[in-house]
Amino acid sequence: MNQSHSLKRHLLVSVLIVAGFAALPLVMTQRYLLGEVILFFLWAMVAMNWNLLMGHAGVFSLAQMLFFATGAYSVAMGTSYLGVSIWAALPLAAVVSAILAFFIGLACLRLTGAYVALLTYAIVGMVHVLIITETECFTMVRNSCQQMFGGAAGFSQFEDFGFRKLLRGNWILGNYYVALLAFAVTILGIVVIIHGRLGLAFRAIRDNVGYASSRGIDRRKYQIAAFAISAFLTGLAGAIYAGHFRAAGPSLFDFSTLLFVLSMVVVGGVGSTWGPIIGAGTMMLIIEFSKGMGDARDLILGVALIVFVVVMPKGLAGSVRQFRQMLGRKASKNEEGSTV
Amino acid sequence: MDVLIQIFFTGVTLGAMYALASVGLSLIFGTLGMFNMAHGLFMTLGAYVAYSAANAFQLPLVLGFVAAMAAGAVIGVLTHLLIVRFMLGSPDFGMNVMVATAGLGIVLQDIVLKIYGGYPYPQVVRVEGIAQLGGVSITLQALTNVAVALALILGTAWLLMKTRFGRAIRATAMNREAAMLMGVKADTVFLQVMALAGMLAGVAGLMISTQATLSPQMGGDPLLKAFVICVVAGLGNVWGAGVCAFGLALLEAAIGYYFGVRFGFPTMLMLVILLLIWRPQGLFGRERVVRL
Repeated sequence: MNQSHSLKRHLLVSVLIVAGFAALPLVMTQRYLLGEVILFFLWAMVAMNWNLLMGHAGVFSLAQMLFFATGAYSVAMGTSYLGVSIWAALPLAAVVSAILAFFIGLACLRLTGAYVALLTYAIVGMVHVLIITETECFTMVRNSCQQMFGGAAGFSQFEDFGFRKLLRGNWILGNYYVALLAFAVTILGIVVIIHGRLGLAFRAIRDNVGYASSRGIDRRKYQIAAFAISAFLTGLAGAIYAGHFRAAGPSLFDFSTLLFVLSMVVVGGVGSTWGPIIGAGTMMLIIEFSKGMGDARDLILGVALIVFVVVMPKGLAGSVRQFRQMLGRKASKNEEGSTV
Repeated sequence: MDVLIQIFFTGVTLGAMYALASVGLSLIFGTLGMFNMAHGLFMTLGAYVAYSAANAFQLPLVLGFVAAMAAGAVIGVLTHLLIVRFMLGSPDFGMNVMVATAGLGIVLQDIVLKIYGGYPYPQVVRVEGIAQLGGVSITLQALTNVAVALALILGTAWLLMKTRFGRAIRATAMNREAAMLMGVKADTVFLQVMALAGMLAGVAGLMISTQATLSPQMGGDPLLKAFVICVVAGLGNVWGAGVCAFGLALLEAAIGYYFGVRFGFPTMLMLVILLLIWRPQGLFGRERVVRL
């Protein structure tokens, strides 16, 4: 199957997905459910970007939530200190994340494999510790001390998208479409990258560094590019998160949050195109249903991670592909193993 | 001068704990090629089991240490039998096993949280009293920790260098296929390594809890540091890990004293990143020649 054909097919799927979600509020009007779908957009964005970096470019980074947090903190600090309007803060936050990723990539991507995972994990740990141990007051907000990076409490009550005034009772619809727009940008951007020349270069490096570089693909250059692109879009998701919840705090650095998103990527299928979206939906549904059984989120997360990695290392998307290949073989159709 | 001695002792006490944690981590990486993200929870479990055993049976100090070691060894063996064994040799083993052990870590942490609750307890397996050494006072607890850690590290070194069992481990680490062809049972070696590393982690956990308190999250911070130490030493280099543990702990103690505890770990990490830019294979790691 040639490159441009599969790109067109995947673009068509993404347009259909976005159109489906755009029409969803017509049938689903409960505010709680719409809020959950907004969260789904955000987590799916992070998962897709992580998959681009981990599954396609072969960089096993654990810094994805750091870039998400950078986006959220940029919005929080930009609107509360610099008085930037939130609409200007959104792209700015994404750019700040990308710049941070560029420098972290410069330092970490001299290394490969597990070293990258450990070093990025250590950097996230360091930032987390520095933020929660900060005690010096930077400004006073409502008669209480506000640290420069928010300290252990984080930021709250800053400017949001302004839909509460504009749409009153239906304000969540405004947030919904803003998040959907960012989701659409991410989904289209990632599909174009994965099925374009850049994605081909990423996978060439992942599969065989030696061969790829002897054909003129510079590993560091392309991996840093992958790092910065995924951080840009992840930062955008973080910025929307801050705008939607009007909060940004150190809980974004929690190990369980990291594992929650990682489980979406792994359950969906590392190295696929649509796996992370399927994974994000699946994990959110599982967690939603488990709420009835008390606080079992971490337990279920952990068990899901172990079971999927051991039993289904290619994730749901990989199983779908296998299943289709099996059917295809039976019907003696000649379907090649393209990325689902 | 007193200050220097104080920093030295703080550093050595920290170093003893870091060394136990990172030697085990490094041993596992060297033989199985896996990063054990659940290692921090092995430490936590060691500490909690020692606490519970001591509370229930009024154990003397020595048996407290034994309980922690046993707990660590058991969880290490179970991890291998129930999870890692099925993944060995699969494609993307390195990444997948990290994800699986991270999952295991969060499951264990949640179990500890559910059984003991989130409130920090003081460790009961402990030594009271203070000794005066060269004008500085040191708790007997710290001295005990350093002594036990040194004994265990020397014991591990003896096991690895002087026994048949250690030779099998080293051979497997060097070249798994060649070792298996020479009749080394790789599966048994993996089990032994997991037990040994778990044991060291359990004791490390007990020591950490005597210096601070017991809490379900107590393993997170030492794990982070053990990772950094292993990376600095060069992955899988067990001796380097031991040496770096003491070096970095002394550095952390000094920075913590002069610039505030808050900056101890971040500064250490900055230096580590600079070091890795200079020597990507770590201080003691040998450059790997990759054939295409």
